[in-house]
Amino acid sequence: MLAALALAAPLRAARAQQLLVPMDDAQQNHLKAYGLTFAALKAGQKGEWLLNYRGGAFLLADTPDTRRRAALEGVSIEPVDAGTTSAIRGAMGAGNMDAVVLEKAPRIAIYTPPNAPPWDDAVTLALRYAGIEYETVWDDQVMHGDLQKYDWLHLFHEDFTGQLSKFQIAYRGAPWFIEQQQRYLATANALGFRDIPALKKEVAERIRQYVERGGFLFAMCGATETVDLAIAAHGVDIAGVFSDGTPMDPDADAKLDWARSFAFRDGHLETSPFVNAMSDIDGHQVNVPGRRQPLGTFTLFAFSAKFDPVASMLVQDHRSVIPDFYGVTTSFTRATLKPGGTVLAFEEGAPWVKYVHGDYGKGSWTFLGGHDPEDAQHAVGNPPTDLSLHPNSPGYRLILNNVLFPAAKKKPLKT
Amino acid sequence: MALAAMAFAAPARAQDSLMRGPLARGLDLEEQSRFKEAVAAYREALHGPAVVPALLGLERAWAELGTSDSLLPLLDTIIAARPRDPTVRSVQLRTLRAVGRPAELRAAFERWVRDASGDPAPYREYVRLLLQDGRAAAADSVLLRAQRTLGSARDLASETAQLRASMGLWEPAARSWREALEAMPYMAQAATFSLAPVPPTSRDAVRETLRAPPLALGARTLLASLELLWGSPRDAWAALAPLPASDSARDAWVEFATRAEVIESWLVARDALAAAVRWRMSAALALRASTDALQGGDGASALALATAAWGVAPDQRTAREALSLRVRALAQLARPDEAEAMVRASRIPLDEPTRAAMSRAVAWGWVRRGETGRARAVLAALDASPDDDVAGWLALYDGDLASARRALRTSTESTPSLVGALSLLTRTREVRSPAIGLAYLTLARGDTARAAAAFAAAATTVRDAAPLLLATAARLFGARRDDAAAVALWRSVVTDHASAPEAPEADLEWARALVRARDPLAAVTRLEHLILTYPDSALVPQARRELDQARAALPASS
Repeated sequence: MLAALALAAPLRAARAQQLLVPMDDAQQNHLKAYGLTFAALKAGQKGEWLLNYRGGAFLLADTPDTRRRAALEGVSIEPVDAGTTSAIRGAMGAGNMDAVVLEKAPRIAIYTPPNAPPWDDAVTLALRYAGIEYETVWDDQVMHGDLQKYDWLHLFHEDFTGQLSKFQIAYRGAPWFIEQQQRYLATANALGFRDIPALKKEVAERIRQYVERGGFLFAMCGATETVDLAIAAHGVDIAGVFSDGTPMDPDADAKLDWARSFAFRDGHLETSPFVNAMSDIDGHQVNVPGRRQPLGTFTLFAFSAKFDPVASMLVQDHRSVIPDFYGVTTSFTRATLKPGGTVLAFEEGAPWVKYVHGDYGKGSWTFLGGHDPEDAQHAVGNPPTDLSLHPNSPGYRLILNNVLFPAAKKKPLKT
Repeated sequence: MALAAMAFAAPARAQDSLMRGPLARGLDLEEQSRFKEAVAAYREALHGPAVVPALLGLERAWAELGTSDSLLPLLDTIIAARPRDPTVRSVQLRTLRAVGRPAELRAAFERWVRDASGDPAPYREYVRLLLQDGRAAAADSVLLRAQRTLGSARDLASETAQLRASMGLWEPAARSWREALEAMPYMAQAATFSLAPVPPTSRDAVRETLRAPPLALGARTLLASLELLWGSPRDAWAALAPLPASDSARDAWVEFATRAEVIESWLVARDALAAAVRWRMSAALALRASTDALQGGDGASALALATAAWGVAPDQRTAREALSLRVRALAQLARPDEAEAMVRASRIPLDEPTRAAMSRAVAWGWVRRGETGRARAVLAALDASPDDDVAGWLALYDGDLASARRALRTSTESTPSLVGALSLLTRTREVRSPAIGLAYLTLARGDTARAAAAFAAAATTVRDAAPLLLATAARLFGARRDDAAAVALWRSVVTDHASAPEAPEADLEWARALVRARDPLAAVTRLEHLILTYPDSALVPQARRELDQARAALPASS
């Protein structure tokens, strides 16, 4: 039925009423399709996200600018007239599909140091490739209250415990690591903090407040685990002696205040400075010899578009099973998840999940484990992924779903 | 393979018995994928003299059956009898890793260290397994311990190098590989693969490490291999050229030349072979160097090398080959009269095909000299068919497009110049065009700048092939790095011949010239024009890629 509808909407040179941006296998460039939609919103148009319809298609106004951009970027579009649109809506009404209005291009901030370290950030790569505008913020902007300017904040491999991902184990002599350590300490001192852990803990707290007041937070890789640890450790020293000159509080585990955290509870801190892990929240422990778990695949949960539009938006994809990929934090053990969160993707039979979401105050957070969906074993020093070679990446689509999610008009839940 | 290695190791009589015994039977059964029966045979062989080969056979066969853990009790028994045998210990470590028992693996490693005090082998094997599992931090700890225990990590240099590389610590990795190659030159290939992924920003540090004094053959060979992989054959040769001449250096130069030839880097290959010839004259290598020089368009050095080979030719076949190369080199240098004289004076018997090939080369030499009449006379003396390739080219130089079309169409060659000429001849319906003839003749004489101008001029008279002629001219200007002249012609193709097949290429090349001129904004305009105007062109995916790059180069305010 759906395929028949698609065939019924042939390309026409004349202006149609709307442009359908298919997101199933008919799409030549899924990632740039998000950029096309973002640009339309940025230009003041409204759009619709057709959840579960043809891989999560978009419906945009038929304008010369949108057609031009689609042609330039290689994004597949299908002009549809009123009759075809009506047929699409009819088909959607009869199935597990729904339309969400997209009304405003979100203002996006990426939390990243001024001189990015020698590995890359999948979200920055995705946004740049898709042509989605963003700004960068760092500790000083966060401390000066700049987060309120943005709808959406992204965190990547930052270690909010201030221990620089314990990279001193492997990279203590590397020039980039020494430089990073010195730069971070200088920033901390300039902002009135004695050491890096103290600064990062306060930054995590500001991020918590940002979400509580209505911000959207999307975190990947090590930032997921450490931002929650830093928030839970509000009054406890959880940093090793190598990072702040004082040993970790011996009762740190017991003193963590999980009521304040976003996603996790009851995690146990890794106390050894020689073990490259922060806690037992991460299921894969990629950098810990003897604990490392092999990669499998993860499955996106199929939500009801009509009853769970938010979760549905976050899992729109043309593939439901996706190869897993490592990161400083790769996955989240089920035992450490708070009950209020929603699991968006999981590995069949494994004691961990990959992708989680939840509300917090007036805002929401989404955590995706792993570093780079198209470079499963990404290591420090590896060249960044060239996304022009992966225009249909299902893993990168998950990141871009999050970018458009704040653009959706909020409507009352039906439950 | 295993059988061959084992046969070399065994004395003749023992070898004979092994070939008929349970070990040989096990190998045969394994080869037939009858693993269960192979296991039985190998078990039987364990009671004979070839314990280690039988054990290795069991390791393979049980792995195929998915029952590697069956090996473990057996290993305990064998190790008790041969506690310092590194092969048996290695099998034990590999097996424990294969069956996923990291704690027992670690314990087995510790036992081996204890039983073989002062031996680097246990550290080496364990580190290798850790690296295979991507456990870089654990491997690092073991190496540090080895250094402390053994007093030096020199015996573990290759493992250290692999570890550093896996961590992205490229400069220390290069340093370790340099050290490792001094003792283990056979690790050169492993070193190359380990350092090949060094990102461009870290390559200078690696180069500096491998180039640092004292000059070492292993380090220089490694650097040369890396430069070839990184696409810089000239830099690759620069790494090897300073080696003091010796038999080892000569071998390295010849091997390098072979690799340079594979990637058609002819003049670099010529240089390497010439260096080898200077160290010790070899007619065969000199001829090869001369051929490479000709392929690279350097007639002068081709002539010198072929003449050197001629002087020491050990037999008539070599002398004939040297003569042929000298004639071709002289032709390339536009010295056909000397080439003719050389053929005449030669006392080497030449068969008819060889003589004809030399005459054709002489004819090309006359063309290069600009004397097509003399060239035609040479061909006439040969009684060449009017459909002969050279005759076809001569007709083209005369502007006789009809004859050229007829002769070249049946050519069995597929050189780029022939393909280019044929595409022009099929594009135009003209039967005669002195302008086109002049353009091709000028090109054959090696005067690219004038040839480009002549092609552009021909476009004004041969209207049905004008965009192709303009594009040919633009390509020639582009090859000379004359972007201003090339862009003027590409612009003409885009604006005056917008529906021609050359128009998308013109847009793309125009954009590339703009990028080179540091005008990414104008390049973006051109690339967008290409994509929007010629959406079905095969160049569109490439244009999109270059559009992204051009946009990334735009200043923030654009």
